[in-house]
Amino acid sequence: MKTLYVEGDSLLHRLPPRAKLLGLAAAGIALFFFRSIPPLALAALLCAAIYASLGIGLRHSFARLRPIFLTIAVVALFTLLVGSTEEAATVLLRLTSLMLLAAAVTAATGIGDFIDEITLAARPLERIGLVKAADIGLSIGLVIRFVPEILDRYRAIKDAHYARGLKPRILTLAVPLIILTLKNADEIAAAIDARGIRTQK
Amino acid sequence: MDIRFEEAEARFEGRTVLHPLTLSLSERRIGIIGLNGSGKTTFARMINGLVTPSAGHVVVNGFDTVKHGEKVRAESGFIFQNPQNQIILPILKEDIALGLKSRKLSRQQSDAAVDAVLDRFGISHLATRRAHELSGGELQLAALASVLVTEPDILIMDEPTNQLDLKNRELVRRTIEGLGENIIVISHDLELVEDFDRMLLFHEGRLAADGPPADTIRRYRELAR
Ligand SMILES: Nc1ncnc2c1ncn2[C@@H]1O[C@H](COP(=O)(O)OP(=O)(O)O)[C@@H](O)[C@H]1O
Ligand SMILES: [Mg+2]
Repeated sequence: MKTLYVEGDSLLHRLPPRAKLLGLAAAGIALFFFRSIPPLALAALLCAAIYASLGIGLRHSFARLRPIFLTIAVVALFTLLVGSTEEAATVLLRLTSLMLLAAAVTAATGIGDFIDEITLAARPLERIGLVKAADIGLSIGLVIRFVPEILDRYRAIKDAHYARGLKPRILTLAVPLIILTLKNADEIAAAIDARGIRTQK
Repeated sequence: MDIRFEEAEARFEGRTVLHPLTLSLSERRIGIIGLNGSGKTTFARMINGLVTPSAGHVVVNGFDTVKHGEKVRAESGFIFQNPQNQIILPILKEDIALGLKSRKLSRQQSDAAVDAVLDRFGISHLATRRAHELSGGELQLAALASVLVTEPDILIMDEPTNQLDLKNRELVRRTIEGLGENIIVISHDLELVEDFDRMLLFHEGRLAADGPPADTIRRYRELAR
């Protein structure tokens, strides 16, 4: 997992993160109220323009969006097979708009801002005593931070098997990986304490 | 800086890892050496309260590490043996800002503090990089920035040059030389600590020597034989 944020100074970058996330949610709902092609085509164009305003570049954008777009294409194709051309076009336009807008918001919002917003959104849960809101934000940050490290370790353990002429098996892979991960988790927890990160109320 | 150990002892699962120890530390630069497993890391972790004494007390700048853990950790920064485990958020500048959260600074103040500390260690170009992609030397500097942004009185480093190549070792060594903070450095890299003000040697959980680096290092060589 990588962070999808892209450095930049576009209007979308400068917009407050809450406005962007709420706007995205609202647009997502609104898109499902349009059922005819012209307004949806207009929405797709608008979303494409917003995405283009980030200045990511065509080739790079294509690489980022291809996996989701393929999924959308499959869904649209399936709709075409069981339904009408118009229905398929509606699905295609609607999902493409949503994809472009969501990708634009993700690319223009830093992970720190995301965490702050999630923390704020979790405040009501904190008030009824369920969780500590700051911990939810921190957990999400930690997952994004450490998933690549765990994948590296997995590869290293697999390489160690090959280097010693062993065939990697689930058990011999998983056990050292879990031990290493727990050991690191201990250290990460100690670092969180040492840096006084969870002391704030 | 004023660190006092009063008959402080550390025990894990019934095994004594650090025997009762009484000493006080106030020199600006203190080195800690000793064989693997001699208790150096445990001693250092007792200073910032990550390990609490199973008997006795540890008092840092007037705060008991058991009763005032949070205050003690605000007084002391800690660079761990594996700095990659102490960068907690994916993007470096956001990780550094995280340490400032409890200060309730404005966005501008926080950004300015982050920029200043990145600049101080010459790593402004790494601000938006992913922690996962940093090299060993870069990680060590990043960890320094993330810890020193909160301006602790004391900085503790656990084997800061251990996994570094010659070039990064020099870079980190020069950086440590330039630090104005009180520093306590655990090291197998004797060159790094040989000109410090005081040096402690641990051996099998006890303080085996304490004094000027040259004397302590001589004793270490005898023990290691
Ligand atoms: N959390 C712990 N639980 C159990 N034993 C520990 C723990 N931390 C350290 N030890 C043991 O304490 C001894 C001293 O360790 P440490 O302080 O890390 O030594 P050093 O840093 O000098 O290599 C070692 O034998 C180690 O296995
Ligand atoms: Mg150690």
